[in-house]
Amino acid sequence: MITERLTSERLSTDLTSWEIGPYYDALPGPMKMRLLLDGEIIVSGEIETGFVHRGLEKAMELQNWQVAVAYADRLDPENAFFAELALCMAVEEISQFETPARALNIRLILSELSRVCTHLGYVVKVAKAVNAETMVHYALRDRERVLDLFELLTGARYSINFLRYGGVKLDMTAGFLERVLETCDLIRIRLKEYNDLFTYNHAFLKRTRGMGVLSSELIKKYGITGPNARASGVLSDTRKEHPYLGYEKLNHHLISTSEQSSHQSADCHSRFVIRLNEISQSLEILRAISDAVPPGEFELMKVEKDFAVPSGEAFARVESGRGRLGIYVVADGSARPSRIQFSTPSPASLLAVPELIVGIRVEDLPVLLASLDLGLAEIDK
Amino acid sequence: MNPAESSWPILFGHLLELPVSTPPWLVASLGLILIYLVVILPSSVLIAYLDRKLGADFQARVGPNRSGPAGIFQPVADFLKLLQKDAVRRGNKEKIWLALQSMALYSTVAVLPLGSLCLLVDTDMSSFLPFWAALLVALGTLFLGFSQKTAAGWLGGVRVAAQAMAAAFPALVSILCAGVKVGGFRWSLFAKAQGAIPFFWTAFSNPFQFVAFVVFVISGLILLGIPPMDAPLSNPDLQGGISSRFFGRNLGLFQLGRFYSFFLWSVIAVVLFLGAWILPESLVNALNESQNFQALQILELLWLLGKTFGLMILVIWVARVNPRSRVDQITDFAWKILSPSAIGALVGASLWAAWSASG
Repeated sequence: MITERLTSERLSTDLTSWEIGPYYDALPGPMKMRLLLDGEIIVSGEIETGFVHRGLEKAMELQNWQVAVAYADRLDPENAFFAELALCMAVEEISQFETPARALNIRLILSELSRVCTHLGYVVKVAKAVNAETMVHYALRDRERVLDLFELLTGARYSINFLRYGGVKLDMTAGFLERVLETCDLIRIRLKEYNDLFTYNHAFLKRTRGMGVLSSELIKKYGITGPNARASGVLSDTRKEHPYLGYEKLNHHLISTSEQSSHQSADCHSRFVIRLNEISQSLEILRAISDAVPPGEFELMKVEKDFAVPSGEAFARVESGRGRLGIYVVADGSARPSRIQFSTPSPASLLAVPELIVGIRVEDLPVLLASLDLGLAEIDK
Repeated sequence: MNPAESSWPILFGHLLELPVSTPPWLVASLGLILIYLVVILPSSVLIAYLDRKLGADFQARVGPNRSGPAGIFQPVADFLKLLQKDAVRRGNKEKIWLALQSMALYSTVAVLPLGSLCLLVDTDMSSFLPFWAALLVALGTLFLGFSQKTAAGWLGGVRVAAQAMAAAFPALVSILCAGVKVGGFRWSLFAKAQGAIPFFWTAFSNPFQFVAFVVFVISGLILLGIPPMDAPLSNPDLQGGISSRFFGRNLGLFQLGRFYSFFLWSVIAVVLFLGAWILPESLVNALNESQNFQALQILELLWLLGKTFGLMILVIWVARVNPRSRVDQITDFAWKILSPSAIGALVGASLWAAWSASG
C-alpha cells in the first residue's frame, strides 16, 4: 500500500513524503513516522512502532516472582515505580496478603514522589520541544532533588526495584520525612518560577494554545486516560475510581477534581498546565500523609527465591504518571509467573496522533508529541 | 595630515606606520586581513565564551570550566576539535555554495565601520551595503540547503528565504529612519550626528527613532536567522536544518559565518542608533592635538565593541530564556507588526526632523 502511494505521489508535485525515525529528535522515542507534507503543513501521517520491543512480559514468565519486580521497572523507565506497584498489588491480591500499614504508607509516598518526578520530566520534554533551554535545565535541576529522595530511601535513583510482595525492601531512615517535606517546599517555590518564566510566556502560549486539541469524543474513542484525558475535561483517575494504597482516606479535593478539569481547553497548553497542577496536588498529598505514617513492620515476611504464589489470577490497576496502568497476573502455584500482561496508558494517546497531526506544521510535531507524553518503552513492552 | 581629507588606504597605511610608497591595493588587503584577524576572530571567541558561560549562569549550571582558568580556552578547544575532524566527501556542490555564502558574508568586512580612522568604505550608500550582503547570504543559505538534498536542508532553506523576505522591508525602512535624522547614509555622518552619552544617541533622540532601533535589531535577527528567530536551524523538528549536514571544517566555517553576521548587524545597530564610536569631545581633542591617532582609533574601537557586545549579550539573554518561535509566526510578526511600525516610525521621524529643522 505504501509503495502504491509513493508511486502515485511521484506523479503529482504538490505533496512531499517524508519518513522520519526510528531515531529522530522530534520523536519521543524509537518509532517511525511517514508524513505527507504540503509545504510545511502535515497532510497525514502513519506511525510504526516496535523498535524497543523487548518481550518483557515473556521474560517475566521465565524468572522467579521477585525478579519479575526488577523487570517491571523496565516496562517504562520514567515511571518505574508504578509498574512495580501494580505487579505487587496483583500478586498480593492472589496470595491474600495483608500488607502492613507502614509499608502501604511508604508506597504511597513513593507513588506521589514518582508522579512529581515524571511530571518534572514531562516539563523538560515540552521545554525541549520548543527549545526553551533555561526551562529544561531548571526542571532537570529540581527533578534531581526528587531523585535524591529515591536514593536516600531505596539506594537507587531511577530503576528502584524496591517493592517486595507484602511490603517494601527497607524501612524509612530517620529524617527521611523531613527531607521529603523540605523538597516539597522547594518545588512549590519552583513551580511559581516555572509559571513566571515559561508556562505563561507569550511565545510558549503561541506555540501550544489551540494546538493538538483532544476532544472528549477522541478520548472516549481511543480510551485515553490520565492527565491527557483530564486536560480534556474527562475526569478519569484510578486513584479516585478504584482507590488503592489508602487514597480513599485522603481528602477528596487533594486528588484531581472535576472543577479542575472543566476549565481545560484540551490543547497542548492545558496538558502542560494540568501536569503542573498535579505536581502541586502531589505535594499536598505528601504533606498530608507524612504527618501520619504509622509505626510498625515494613514487610510481611522475607521474600525468598523459592517464593511461590498460590494458583489464581488477579487484575490490578494504578494511576501512573501517564494514565491508568493495568496488570493481569496469572499464577499456577509455582515459583514463576504463569502469565503477566500489562495494559499501559501510552498506546491510547499514540493512536490519536494520526488524527491530531493533520493540518499542523512540521515545527509543531515535536511539541504535539511531547505534550502527549508518550512512553515508547511501555508501548512496545 | 588631515584625516578627513584622505582616502582610507592612505589613512590606514598611516595608522599602521607603513612606508608612504606602499601601493594602495596592498594596504587595502592588509587592512581587511588585519580587521578579520584582530577584530572579528577575537570577538567571535569572546562572544562564544560569554554566550556559554553566561548561558550557564542563567540556567543554574557551571558551564565550561576545564580548558584554562574558568574555561576561557573552550572556544579555542572547540575550534581545534572541529579542524581535526575528518570530513566525508559529498561532491562539490555544497562546498561551492558554502564558499559563495561565506564570500557574500565576508565582503562586508570592507564596509564594517570600526572608528573614525578605520572607515574603509564611507560613501553615500555605505549603510545599505551590509543590508544587501545579508540578502545575498540568505540566498546563498537557501541554495546551500537545497544542495544538501535532505528534508532538513529543503525546509531549512525555504525557511531562511521566507524569513529574509519578511524582514528585509522593515530592516530597510528602519535604516531610512536613522538616515532621516542625520541627513545621509555615510558612516561618518551617522557618527558625527551623535554624542558620547546616551542622551545624544539616535535611538533616544525621539520615540520614533527608538521604535526604529527596536525594529532594526529584531528584523536583523529574523533576516539572518539568529536565536530566538532561528527556525531555519531548529533542532527538535529539523535536527539543526541546514547545519545538520555540516561537520568538521565546514561546520566551523558555517558557525563562524553565523556569528559574524550577528556581529555585523550589532555593530551596524550601534553605529546607526547607539552613538557609534563617539567618545567624549575633550578626550578626542586631546588625542588629536598630541597626534596620537592610534590611541584614538583603539579607544574608539573598544568603545564601539563594548556597546556591540552589550547588545549581543542582551539578545543572547532573551534567546536563552525564551522558547523559539515558529517560522510562520516570525514572518507574520515581521509583516504585520514590524513593517507597519517601521513605516510609522519613518513618517514620525521625518515629521520630527522637519519640525526640528524649521524650529
